[in-house]
Amino acid sequence: MFLINCPYCGERDQSEFSCGGEAHIERPKQPTELSDDQWAEYLFMRKNVKGIQFERWNHIHGCRKWFNVARDTSNDKIHAVYKMGERPPIK
Amino acid sequence: MLNFNSPIKEEKKYNDLKIIEVEPIIKINLRSNKREFSTKIGKILSILPPNEANTSSGNEKFNLLWLSPDEWLIYSNDNKMTLNDQKNLEDKLFNEISKLNQGAVTNVSDHWIMINLNGNKVYDLLSKSCPYNFNDFKNKKGSVAQTIVNHVDVILHNYEDNNLNLFVRRSFSEDLWLWLNDSARLI
Repeated sequence: MFLINCPYCGERDQSEFSCGGEAHIERPKQPTELSDDQWAEYLFMRKNVKGIQFERWNHIHGCRKWFNVARDTSNDKIHAVYKMGERPPIK
Repeated sequence: MLNFNSPIKEEKKYNDLKIIEVEPIIKINLRSNKREFSTKIGKILSILPPNEANTSSGNEKFNLLWLSPDEWLIYSNDNKMTLNDQKNLEDKLFNEISKLNQGAVTNVSDHWIMINLNGNKVYDLLSKSCPYNFNDFKNKKGSVAQTIVNHVDVILHNYEDNNLNLFVRRSFSEDLWLWLNDSARLI
């Protein structure tokens, strides 16, 4: 269990949130021109790194807004929380 | 509201705690991100929608709760407001906001059930199954929190000291009511 600082509501318990998977995956501009392998890569393949990972989270039991989180998957430490459409504040 | 029939039909009293359902009252959900929206609401209700997170504004007739940066909930303080007055208010908001593409107005009176919790043990009761930190909430009149109590989504409004209104979805209301009463016996 850990706390997440929702950019809209403030600090809340993790149980109020839902993780939406890896962030910053761009939809291909011309999906019809992709091969099956490239399309599968876009749809299914995720990094799942040990270390800092950029994720989308939704405050599902609160304001119901989506935002991004930079979380260290090895210890659940949250390094940054930033709104949708913004660039990651850390690399 | 048609054929109002609440699943909760009683008032419960415990040591330093009273739990009662307050119905029927009108509840209207508002959504907008337009600038003119606040002015229109101010003219109709004489209250401005709060912009600060987890807060509310109100007068003797209505309360306006912040739910998210573009969403608010209006509820009436008066459970004797006639159906005609409720319809007039809804129509007025709908005509001034929804029809003019200034936002969305939805009557959610039958969607939410309002339960009033009153007494010194209110926060002891909620803390038994709620991950929310009530330290700031209970000291600030008018605070609003959307969280979970016993895994059920609720909206909490700090109406007065140790007197809060809890909104729960109708389909979950009986379950939460039973849990509140079970837990109230043990605090």
